[in-house]
Amino acid sequence: MTQPIAAQSPAHSQSTQSAVAERLAEIVGERHVLSRPSELLVYNSDGLPGYRRQPSLAVFPGTREETVAVVRLLANEGLPFVPRGAGTGLSGGALADDIVVIGLHRLKKIISLDVENRRATVEPGVVNLRLNKHVAPHGLLYAPDPSSEAACTIGGNVAENAGGPHCLKYGVTLNHVLALTVVLPNGEVVELGSKVGERNGYDLRGAFIGSEGCFGLALDITVKLTPKPQTVRTLLADFMSVDAAAHVTSAIIASGIVPAALEFMDGPTIRVVEDSIYAAGYPRDAEAILLIELDGLEAGVSADLEAVRRICINGGARNVKVARDDAERTKLWQGRKKAFGAMGRLAPHLIVQDAVIPRTRLPEILATIRNISEKYRVVVCNVFHAGDGNLHPNIAYSADDPDESERVHKAMTEIMQACIDAGGSITGEHGVGLDKMGYMEAIFSESSLNAMCELRGVFDPERRSNPGKVVPVHACKEWHAVSGGRLRMGTVSSTAPEPRPVEAEPSHPSAR
Amino acid sequence: MSTAAVVSAIKESGAAGTGLRIAGRSTWLDAGRPVRADGTLSLNDDNGVVSYVPGDLTLTVRAGTQLSEIERVTREHDQWLPLDPYGSSDGTIGATVATASAGPLASSFGLPRDLLLGLEFVNGRGEVVRGGGKVVKNVAGFDLSRLLTGSWGTLGVITEVTLRLYALPNTDRTFAIPLNGSEKEIATLVRAIVVSPLTPYALQLLNPQAARSLGLGEHSVCLIRFGGNDAVVRSQVNALSHIARLEEEESTIWTRLRQLDGGAHTTIRIVSMPLRFLATSARILADDIPGIYTCIDPHRGVLRIVVGADGKNGDGGAAAIGESIDFHEGGIGSSQVIFEKLPPEVWSAVSPSVVSDGLSQGVKRAFDPHNILNPGILGD
Repeated sequence: MTQPIAAQSPAHSQSTQSAVAERLAEIVGERHVLSRPSELLVYNSDGLPGYRRQPSLAVFPGTREETVAVVRLLANEGLPFVPRGAGTGLSGGALADDIVVIGLHRLKKIISLDVENRRATVEPGVVNLRLNKHVAPHGLLYAPDPSSEAACTIGGNVAENAGGPHCLKYGVTLNHVLALTVVLPNGEVVELGSKVGERNGYDLRGAFIGSEGCFGLALDITVKLTPKPQTVRTLLADFMSVDAAAHVTSAIIASGIVPAALEFMDGPTIRVVEDSIYAAGYPRDAEAILLIELDGLEAGVSADLEAVRRICINGGARNVKVARDDAERTKLWQGRKKAFGAMGRLAPHLIVQDAVIPRTRLPEILATIRNISEKYRVVVCNVFHAGDGNLHPNIAYSADDPDESERVHKAMTEIMQACIDAGGSITGEHGVGLDKMGYMEAIFSESSLNAMCELRGVFDPERRSNPGKVVPVHACKEWHAVSGGRLRMGTVSSTAPEPRPVEAEPSHPSAR
Repeated sequence: MSTAAVVSAIKESGAAGTGLRIAGRSTWLDAGRPVRADGTLSLNDDNGVVSYVPGDLTLTVRAGTQLSEIERVTREHDQWLPLDPYGSSDGTIGATVATASAGPLASSFGLPRDLLLGLEFVNGRGEVVRGGGKVVKNVAGFDLSRLLTGSWGTLGVITEVTLRLYALPNTDRTFAIPLNGSEKEIATLVRAIVVSPLTPYALQLLNPQAARSLGLGEHSVCLIRFGGNDAVVRSQVNALSHIARLEEEESTIWTRLRQLDGGAHTTIRIVSMPLRFLATSARILADDIPGIYTCIDPHRGVLRIVVGADGKNGDGGAAAIGESIDFHEGGIGSSQVIFEKLPPEVWSAVSPSVVSDGLSQGVKRAFDPHNILNPGILGD
């Protein structure tokens, strides 16, 4: 974790901080600036409870102008900051370690909706579900649907390049964002991309999406909307073995049918969900279920439905049930979407992983995960986007038990390594943040990481926006060369300590 | 040619301070602004499949691999890369990604940026960089793959790409719908097709010049392609036959459409809000100037203008384009005009640079500090 000079520089005095707070309050109003440690507690974690970092200040601009003014003030002061949406992220990406957090949840205007051209322009604090409710009466939807869609924001989606179950067919955030107005960390406002979808020159919109708050803040986002499919059919197939369900997943993908979603839940997950208020009527004795959704034109969906049902039955499914109506369909999805929440029943803490593997390797990797969980005596709940090969092995545990924490941590490291060895990626949709930074060097060469640092340097030469995330500082050549001489209060220092590798990090009692 | 060879070529150029023309098969070197280069770095010989696991529906190939080769390899497994850029299918995948070139299938399968999972490139300092990966979903690190796509070789020389594949549809049928009524009748018919719930793979409206050149008669024509399982294609063809007279065409018509560009001195893409083009499409199609082909993709809001493909209008080309754009400007509003190919002398007047903004300049300096990769092709 990159430390601001705060801890080292005598210039960073309490009075300076209160002076900054006062000037921020002049911009956004006093009640939209928090500086007392007790008030800031709420902002000391995101959706991943293994990390805690306390911001020094939190500021909540209410308009685009206020946001730009806040960023300019911080630029003039040379102060680092962390942009934050709803705080539902799962990588520790929105944590501010004794620096300013800029919360964008008050920027929640749906600026425009163009039904005929299927576009909407929204402020970054607009919640996915609200956008969907807004466009639904026009027969449209916004396709990316993270499980936190009831709370997460489009701005946060952009920062993380968020996915969701239906990204299997419809693509992730990057495929749905056409244009952005961005305030760069130096306070300059730029337009990236184009509302018509293509433009001349470099794809800076593409570079910005998924930059995890390190390139600046989006002030407005123009997204592509998707016509609601004519027909949607949801199937639930249950299996008496994880292996059979994994093979069926690979077989569906290999068949060429592109389901709208293809989700996998294993026995431990099924039982946790069924014990919770989100019980969806999944068969409790099954070792795995697949939740498969097909959509499109009626004729095509019916044909694919039959094909998928056959693949499931031939692959050993015990039952294949098709949701009869919307209510039944919603219930089946509710269990899936709330599975993370339901795991709160098992133990106070949860580690969530997000690795991606080639889809043909699924049966083998799931067997490996099982072996690893037995070896370390931990219970892994697998609930994931099987169609994309995007795994979410989760382990509920108590961080107060050092022995258990140690075992959980070792198991997760081994699981990640197995996914990397299979030719996969360390994160499919949650982002690198703090959580996976230690794995970046396992999948990218020094020169690739350096190229990422350089790209960041174009958007944020002073590295003040979300410092210490995504790419380990020591991987950035140029950053070593930067003189440590020009240090002001809170300026990110090139002499800052290197991030600790993930092995020594989170999900670990000492980190809490 | 290998990545190592690209590295040494770039390092040599860097040391000598000479510009390099980056090329695939050199079939489209007249596109883009004139390049100030002393030598050519061709990726043509660096081709072939690196890895292909059909069950994963992903393919990794060297940048010099021809699109036709990708088609051949994937077809053996009933799969395809649904990317059909204009021009010859002998063009390379590296050039296609570098120029972000796409064709009619983009309306349903997306642009190169949507099909690209990862790539390897060599930057202007001769460093080998990888972005993305080989799996279908990946947010690890900043997105160098999108950055390189469409950068026309100016940020790095793409040496390898990994792509998302699709299964070939069971059924793939193409129909021509003659658009030979009055402007109003054409507008009504086109609108009925476009706003219907049909989900064609591709939909193109061609002006009479283009239609004639493809042997599709003397009038404007709507080309529409349906793919998928038998049932979904049958039901759509059936529905469409109630609103229009359909003539089935061989699927090779698309290959011929892509090659209409051959020999053209000018190609321009105007991208606009789909509905804006829909409203003016009948008028645009009526614009029957010898030597000018226009194709409209009403779903994507793309109007493509090709000038001088058949040797006609060789001299008055620039003037004719000016006329075409002026003519439509009122109707298309906030569009992006993307010039692919212009007579060399016209560039500086029409579009001197598309990378003059601060961020683009910064990106260029970071990735090619000596300005040796395709210098000038996007402007300065």
